[in-house]
Amino acid sequence: MSAMDVISLFVYYIVVYNIALLYGTVGEIVTEKSGSMNLGVEGTMAVGAIGGYLMGCLTDNLYVGILAAFVFAGLCGLLFAWLTISMQANQNVTGLTITTFGLGLYFFIGKGIGKAWPVMQQKEHLLQQVAEIRIPGLADIPIIGKGFFHQNILVYLGFLIAIAMWFYMNKTKLGLRMRAIGENPAAADAVGINIKRYKYIHVVLGAGIMGIGGYQMGLNLGGTFEGSNCWINGYGWIAIALVIFANWNTAKAILGTLVFGFFNTLQVYGSALAETFPKALGFLNAIPAQVYQALPFLITAIVLIFNSVKKNKTSGQPAATGINYYREDR
Amino acid sequence: MHKRNAAFRIVKRSEYSVQRMILYYIIAILLAFGIGGILLAALKVDVIRFYKEMLTIGMLDNAYPYRSVEGLIKVFVPLVLVSLALSLAYRMKFWNVGGEGQFIVGALGAAWVAMLFGERLSTPVMLLLMILAGGLFAGLFGVFTAVLKVRFGTNETLLTLMCNYIALYVLKYFGETKTGWNLFLSKDSARPKFEKIPQNAFMPTIQMGRFSLNISLLLAIVFTVFMIFYLNKSKQGYEISVVGDSVNTAKYAGMKVGRIIIRTVFLSAMVIGVAGACHVSTSHTLSTSITNNVGWTGVIVAWLAKLNPIGILVTSFLISVLQYGTSVANANFTAVDANFANLLQGIILFIILAVDFLLKFKIVRTGKTNNNKEVA
Repeated sequence: MSAMDVISLFVYYIVVYNIALLYGTVGEIVTEKSGSMNLGVEGTMAVGAIGGYLMGCLTDNLYVGILAAFVFAGLCGLLFAWLTISMQANQNVTGLTITTFGLGLYFFIGKGIGKAWPVMQQKEHLLQQVAEIRIPGLADIPIIGKGFFHQNILVYLGFLIAIAMWFYMNKTKLGLRMRAIGENPAAADAVGINIKRYKYIHVVLGAGIMGIGGYQMGLNLGGTFEGSNCWINGYGWIAIALVIFANWNTAKAILGTLVFGFFNTLQVYGSALAETFPKALGFLNAIPAQVYQALPFLITAIVLIFNSVKKNKTSGQPAATGINYYREDR
Repeated sequence: MHKRNAAFRIVKRSEYSVQRMILYYIIAILLAFGIGGILLAALKVDVIRFYKEMLTIGMLDNAYPYRSVEGLIKVFVPLVLVSLALSLAYRMKFWNVGGEGQFIVGALGAAWVAMLFGERLSTPVMLLLMILAGGLFAGLFGVFTAVLKVRFGTNETLLTLMCNYIALYVLKYFGETKTGWNLFLSKDSARPKFEKIPQNAFMPTIQMGRFSLNISLLLAIVFTVFMIFYLNKSKQGYEISVVGDSVNTAKYAGMKVGRIIIRTVFLSAMVIGVAGACHVSTSHTLSTSITNNVGWTGVIVAWLAKLNPIGILVTSFLISVLQYGTSVANANFTAVDANFANLLQGIILFIILAVDFLLKFKIVRTGKTNNNKEVA
């Protein structure tokens, strides 16, 4: 493999193995911008993954799987919305419960039904459908061509959703209203915006987006239930960190995904880079894997502290996120 | 424009009925077990037998039933200590979700002391040092988030969340990297493996027949009693409840709110660290999964118990039975994954979060006979 190919493959891995982070992050940004803090990303992604995979296998259709992942994860979102918006339950506790429940459900279906039910094993044709689609012209760009323009449909969809959500939140009237709720629900209520409806829709939408990301991770791993780890393997928590790193902006989330993905990929691919460029990158072999694993969280903690110390006026953190809105409390 | 349903209105209840709460909670648990039973039946598992084995933590038809109790205590003690500690911070609406990380740091601190001094110290001195080190390390690890929160308004939920993972990977680093100075690892093993702590650092037990009672259980109970007095009878406990009710009231009353928050969060993180230290001492070794998710479960327990110390004691016990019981039953029912406990726990909590609404609010008729059925 030439040096160019090694780098090109590195970029490819960054994108394909971390695009789920983008789904999770965009989903959480949509949720938080509408004023809800859903700490259940990990569980929601797990439910989306298992639901999408189950339906995908049943119907032998990738697209039904995507839809099912959206719906199953969306149901988790609906549960979160009902408990926190209608039932006024604490958002942190509800979110953590979604994670506990979601992982429980994942293992119940994956390890319980997965072994007993033959349909869960019929994934070969499903996996074939996740074939790479080459975008002519762009895919020939050196270094980044393969990574960005020779990918499967779920990767393109992730970028598309991130950009679409940026447009929606920043350039449309509905998006503006939704952000108003996240900043100051009482004011939004006063001008006649239906707070409950907006919150419900965006929590469910956000959760659904996370679910597709989970589904992508499951298919990436070939849909096997070996090992004790869940398919999501902590990416849901990294996504929560990434929301802060991306400053609650779904377009910046693309960049953030690539940065965090860079560290994630270095962890497994660093030795290949060190081998190809022994002089310049030989030091990569000496860095322990845990440094890469901790980096996303460390960087995020620093960003979080820095933003608050500087009283950063440009921070995109919605002021009312995590606080339940009860009209008569005003 | 939408119209609100005019026939009913939701009003906050002025008082909180404990009897009603207990009744609702029992219904919630039964309902969750019912749903769980349906799921188990779908796996063609003998539901009654599974629940029986789970709820009796496998003590029936067992030649060594006391071992089950010993196992349960190992799950119960960290959970009750962590939940109590977290509730302390939550009473002031400081959202410490960093239990996992603080537990790890406490365990690391204790193990470090144990490895450093080795066999030289007597058990009481060693244990005291371990608990001090664990508490101090974890307290400092937790308190810096409180300082940032007080000083700059940093979001403590997100920051403590990040700290969990930073601590976890530090622990993994110690567990997976062999270096000359890494005293946590076994010298004999070629592969990196956590070394057992020296024997004099083991948590002592009291022999009661064949059953050996872990001293840390007494510690947990003593601490629960201490918490009841601390919260209800001490000046500091009073300050915590005033700050929790209203920061402004506390300020007008001349309390130094920042100092109270920092002190309480330090105490909260310190106790979690002590729990970590006790757990290392009980399980005789570090491991990368040492927390057993106790930092997360603790949040749930503290909340379920409404931050009440006795409630936490009871809830911790029930959740421990659920978790430990499932892992025991798991041995005989291979179709059911040990994570079934999480599923059940999740369902219970969802139902309880929903019925909490009925405890906090009531639905009253407004008397208007408007037939508009549209719900806002």
